[in-house]
Amino acid sequence: MPDNSRHTGHLFVRELKLITGNHSLLLTLLIAPLLYVFFYGTIYSYKVEEKVVLAVADEDKSEMSRQLTEQLNNLQIISVMSAGNLQEAQELMYHGKAMGYFLIPKGTQSNVLALRQTTVVLAVNGARFLPSSELTGAITQIGLGVGAGVRLKYQEMSGGLNSTMAMQEAMPVNVDFRPLYNPQSSYGGFILPVLIVLILQQTLLIGLSESVALDRENGHIPLLVNARGGFSGALYGKGLFYLLLFGAYAAFFMNVNYRLLDLPFRGYAPDMAVLLLLFLLALIPMAIWVGTLFKNQLLAAQLMAFSTYPFFMICGYAWPLKSMPLVFQWIAALIPLTPFVKIYISIVQAGGTLADNMGAVIHLLILWIFYVLLALLGLRRLYKKQQPVSL
Amino acid sequence: MILSILKVTIREWKRIFRFPVYYLALLVLPPVLCVFYAGIYSRHFVKDLPVAIWDDAQSPLSRQFTFMLEQTETIHITQQIKSEAALQAGLRHGTIMAAIHFPKRMDEHIKSRQPVTITVYTNVSFLIPSKLLYKDAAQVLLTAAGGVQLSKFVKTGMPAGKAMALVMPVKLQAFTLYNPRYDYMQYLVPGLIVVVIQMMMIMVSALAVNYEYHTGTMDDLYVTAQGSASNAIAGKALALLGIAWLDYFMVTLVIFPLFASGALYVDGQLFVIYTLLVVACISLGLMVSAILRDLLLAADVGIFYTSPAFVFSGFTFPRWGMPWYDQYYAALMPLTPFVDAFFKAYFMDLPLRYMWPEMAHMLVFPVIALPLAIVFLQRSMHTLKLQHA
Repeated sequence: MPDNSRHTGHLFVRELKLITGNHSLLLTLLIAPLLYVFFYGTIYSYKVEEKVVLAVADEDKSEMSRQLTEQLNNLQIISVMSAGNLQEAQELMYHGKAMGYFLIPKGTQSNVLALRQTTVVLAVNGARFLPSSELTGAITQIGLGVGAGVRLKYQEMSGGLNSTMAMQEAMPVNVDFRPLYNPQSSYGGFILPVLIVLILQQTLLIGLSESVALDRENGHIPLLVNARGGFSGALYGKGLFYLLLFGAYAAFFMNVNYRLLDLPFRGYAPDMAVLLLLFLLALIPMAIWVGTLFKNQLLAAQLMAFSTYPFFMICGYAWPLKSMPLVFQWIAALIPLTPFVKIYISIVQAGGTLADNMGAVIHLLILWIFYVLLALLGLRRLYKKQQPVSL
Repeated sequence: MILSILKVTIREWKRIFRFPVYYLALLVLPPVLCVFYAGIYSRHFVKDLPVAIWDDAQSPLSRQFTFMLEQTETIHITQQIKSEAALQAGLRHGTIMAAIHFPKRMDEHIKSRQPVTITVYTNVSFLIPSKLLYKDAAQVLLTAAGGVQLSKFVKTGMPAGKAMALVMPVKLQAFTLYNPRYDYMQYLVPGLIVVVIQMMMIMVSALAVNYEYHTGTMDDLYVTAQGSASNAIAGKALALLGIAWLDYFMVTLVIFPLFASGALYVDGQLFVIYTLLVVACISLGLMVSAILRDLLLAADVGIFYTSPAFVFSGFTFPRWGMPWYDQYYAALMPLTPFVDAFFKAYFMDLPLRYMWPEMAHMLVFPVIALPLAIVFLQRSMHTLKLQHA
């Protein structure tokens, strides 16, 4: 037992020296996590996009159309840009100055006053997913409000109803939208919690795989294995440093960055601590195994840099897993981020517990064992290759 | 001079096919990632998300509304729940994404002029599914509510036209242009592929000059380029541009038709702006490569510069929603003007005149970076010449 501790301690110190002596590892492991988490965090610090520019072509030029335009402009989400006519409004959208246009045709007010249905036109640029859906949602609400207002007036004038009764008649069926766990339905509120763990994962994967590739490049794999700990000793000795370092980062992110970015945390801290530990325990052998696949550090750095978006896209957060073909669901199931995100979002946003997500917890545990086996096999393969060299 | 540039170009192509740091990033990764992204989004739309019905009304109307909800693209009713606790548990376990509640005595209240409220609960932790679910649920429920109002007015003897005008006095005709059904394959995959290409072009060209020291071939480059840094830079840039064009045609003529939309996508405007993006990326990479002799440092600069480009570009989250300093930082990356031009060329199919500002923005990068690359390389070549002398 003391031998094992000495061996682990030796590899721990060795890893520290390796990182401080290599500027790429230093940058990836010690500077990048902190730099990225603050840097990326600022992008979404306002969380919602406001004042989406909408070109309004008011051909009616009536009291009602002016009121309607004013109502649109008063919405937090919309900033009205006046356009002389439909063509001008379209040009504003083509030049990217407006995200859509709204046409109030001639005769709108007179039609409404004569109790004839009138049509207004909204065209949004669907190529811009978020602004276009926000515009459509907001203007639909305004349209419903106008409808209710007209009915209210009609009931009061012709039905002889008092205001309360007229209001009840105007809106007999209401739809109440309750966006749970992200009340503003904001993109920032959606992306930031996962962005933080993605930074944690990617810096660990890139840094540790680079470190293993560097050991391979230098022919040092036998050194790791022969330091009396064997293959598993090499795995734990090297991994312990990363477990402590990234454990500290995780604690820092969950406390400092969550507060700075005003992100809600609705679950229990002990559950989150256990979850993060399991996540790091699965990621470390995965990174070691990935590192054994690269012949040198440069190649590891270069190719692993491309892994960020694929991991994010396939983990089931941005796009539901069930909407992917089966083969991609299997690939996703091999990535620790997939079960992790399911549990993490449940704890952080919905106030869930580990017990609520037992299936995903078991999935994460299986991946830990799976990657430990792969890392051991990878180290053994390199050990065999490098053994004669070390002699 | 032209012959010398051509020789450098051919020499560079040979190097690209020889060294893994080049061919893996330039020729293997783009098609692999392209197929990968196309595979993830191959079903194009989010469909049949699990939704619970919390039906306290248990009435003909609530059953009719439930039936209408089930007919939509995104809603698939998977369970009935009886309380808010069950709703919360379902959302926490991830067994449902949304729930719709019909209140007690809903039909009676509607008939007796008491307003009723139908509640739509969605788990907005998952933003995209929740937005799509809300869109479909709201459409069904608002139409149904309109139907209730219409039948009430008609029962009073009101003419159908007038009743319709009262139910919906201002009819909103909404058009979602260019991607009407929010097709994710169409929306996201091309953008993600471009991100891969800009990353790989910058990261590989950041190793184009300094890797010559690593392979001990700087002398050979000096001879091939006739001692001229501009010849060397021009030749290498042309070689990389040729590979970028190869990637472009591989993606648009082979991979996209086979694995993504099923259609060929050949477009002059897109090709022009793509070329400008690639030239900007190559110029920046060559500048880094000429300045930094340390390969890992050059690769790190490439990674740190390119990896945030997608989120800063405004592709998913609009730039005007970012703090001002992030908007300035975004302008320092060629992907940002490209994305604006890309929306106009790819989705809106507009002529190039609508993209002049973005094209000018992309041209700024080579105008600054290429001369710097030449100056720094010329200094290195001069040192090399002195050493030989």
